[in-house]
Amino acid sequence: MDLRILLSIIIGMVFINNFVLSKFLGLCPFLGVSRAIKPAVSMGLAVIFVMTLSGFLTWLVYRFVLIPLNLVYLRTIVFILVIASFVQLVEMVILKKSPVLYRALGIYLPLITTNCAVLGVTVLNINSFFVNGNPVAASFALSLIQSFFAGIGFSLALLLMSGIRERLDLTDVPAALAGIPIAFIIASLMSLAFMGFNGFRF
Amino acid sequence: MEIFISILVLGSLGLLFGLGLAVASKKLCVVTDPNLDKVFACLPGVNCGACGMPGCMAFAQSLIKGGVSLASCRVMEEEARERVASTLGIRLETQVKQIAVLHCGGGNKVKDRFQYNGLTDCIAANLVLHGQKECIYGCLGFGTCEKVCPFGAIRMSVEGLPVVDIAACRACGKCVQECPKGLFRLIPITSKVSVACSSRDNARDTRTFCAAGCIACRKCEKACPVDAIHVIDNLAVIDYDRCTSCGECVKVCPTKCIMMSEA
Repeated sequence: MDLRILLSIIIGMVFINNFVLSKFLGLCPFLGVSRAIKPAVSMGLAVIFVMTLSGFLTWLVYRFVLIPLNLVYLRTIVFILVIASFVQLVEMVILKKSPVLYRALGIYLPLITTNCAVLGVTVLNINSFFVNGNPVAASFALSLIQSFFAGIGFSLALLLMSGIRERLDLTDVPAALAGIPIAFIIASLMSLAFMGFNGFRF
Repeated sequence: MEIFISILVLGSLGLLFGLGLAVASKKLCVVTDPNLDKVFACLPGVNCGACGMPGCMAFAQSLIKGGVSLASCRVMEEEARERVASTLGIRLETQVKQIAVLHCGGGNKVKDRFQYNGLTDCIAANLVLHGQKECIYGCLGFGTCEKVCPFGAIRMSVEGLPVVDIAACRACGKCVQECPKGLFRLIPITSKVSVACSSRDNARDTRTFCAAGCIACRKCEKACPVDAIHVIDNLAVIDYDRCTSCGECVKVCPTKCIMMSEA
C-alpha cells in the first residue's frame, strides 16, 4: 500500500473533506450534541466506532451480495438496513456486557442509526474503492481506514465546536442570536476556515 | 425478472437481520424489575439530583433495591409518592411539604457600591469584592436562582428580588445550593412567617445600606409568645419547630423585615 495514498486519505478525511465542515453531513448531531465537551466526546467515540464497523460490514455486503447479484442500485437501502440492524445489535451487546459504557453512550448510539454521515462514509467507500464493480488493490483495508478517519474528522469537528460553545456560554451574545443562531454562524465560520485545507497538495 | 431478484434479496436480507436481532434480543436480554418502569413513571423525571442520585432512573433503581428512602425525593407530588409506595409495598412516611423562601428584602432598594460590568451571574459577581451591592449579605439580583430552578418556580421581580411561586416550588434545594449569599432556606409550607433579611451588620450599618434590613432591635423576641424568634449575630432567626405563625413579630417589626406570606 502506497504511503502517499494512506496519508492523503487520512488528511483528506480529517481536514480537507471533513464530513461535517466540508461535506455538510451529520449536521444534526453536530449542533445538537455540541453544547458541552463531555457528551461531544461520547458522541464522537460512538460515531468512530459505528462508522468503522459499518464500513467493514457494508464493504462485505457490497462485494459479496450486491455485485454478484447485479443489484448495486439497491445499495442505499441495503446499507441503511445493515447499519440500522447493526447499531441495534451493538446496543444490545453493550447493554448486556457493559452497562457503564451503555450509560455513557446513552441516547447517542441509537441516534447514530439515522446519522447521514455514517451512510455517507459507506457510500463514499464504495465510490472510491470500486472501479466498474471490481475492488481496487487493498480496497477493503482502505475502506476501513477511510471510515475510521471519517469518524475522527467528525469527532474533531464536534470537539472544536463544543469547546467554542462552552466558552460562548460565558460571553455576552445579543439576545436575538443567543443559542442556536450563533452556533450556526460559528459553524459556517469554522467551515470557511476548513476550506483553507483545500490548498493541500500531495 | 430482475425485480423479483431485488425483492427477494432485500426481503431475505431484512428477514435475516430481523431474525438475527430477535435471537440476539432473547440471548442478550437483561432482566429488569417490572416495577422499575412503573416507579420511574411516577417520578418527576426532571433529574434535579436533590435526592443525591444521578437522575430519576438511578433513584428508581436504588428505591427498588431498598437503598434509599422514598422521602429523599422531596420533589415528588404526594399522590405519586403514594402510588410508588403501593407499587413497592413500602410504608409511606408522611412529611410536611417545604418551600424555598428568600431571606432578603433589599433588591433595588440597596444601592451599588461600584459599577459591575462582568458576567450577569450572581456567583461570578460575588467573586468581585463580595458583589456590587452595598449590603454584602443581600441579593445581587442577577437571577442565578431563576436560572437553576428546574421547575421555573423562581422569577425575578421588578424590585430586583427573586419571587418564589409557592405552588410550583418543590423544595429541591437547587436555589439553596447555588445562591452565593445563601439567601434561600427551605421552610415548612405551614409556616407563614419569615425574616426577609440576612444581614449580620450592626444596626447602624444595616440602616445606612437598606431600609428593609433587620436592625436587631429585639422587639420580635419580646413579642413572641412561644419563644420561637431570637436575635443571633444582629439578625432575627426563627425556630420553625416552635413557630406557630401567630404573626405577633410581624406586627411589631419596625423595618417590616419580618414577613407574613399571603398564601
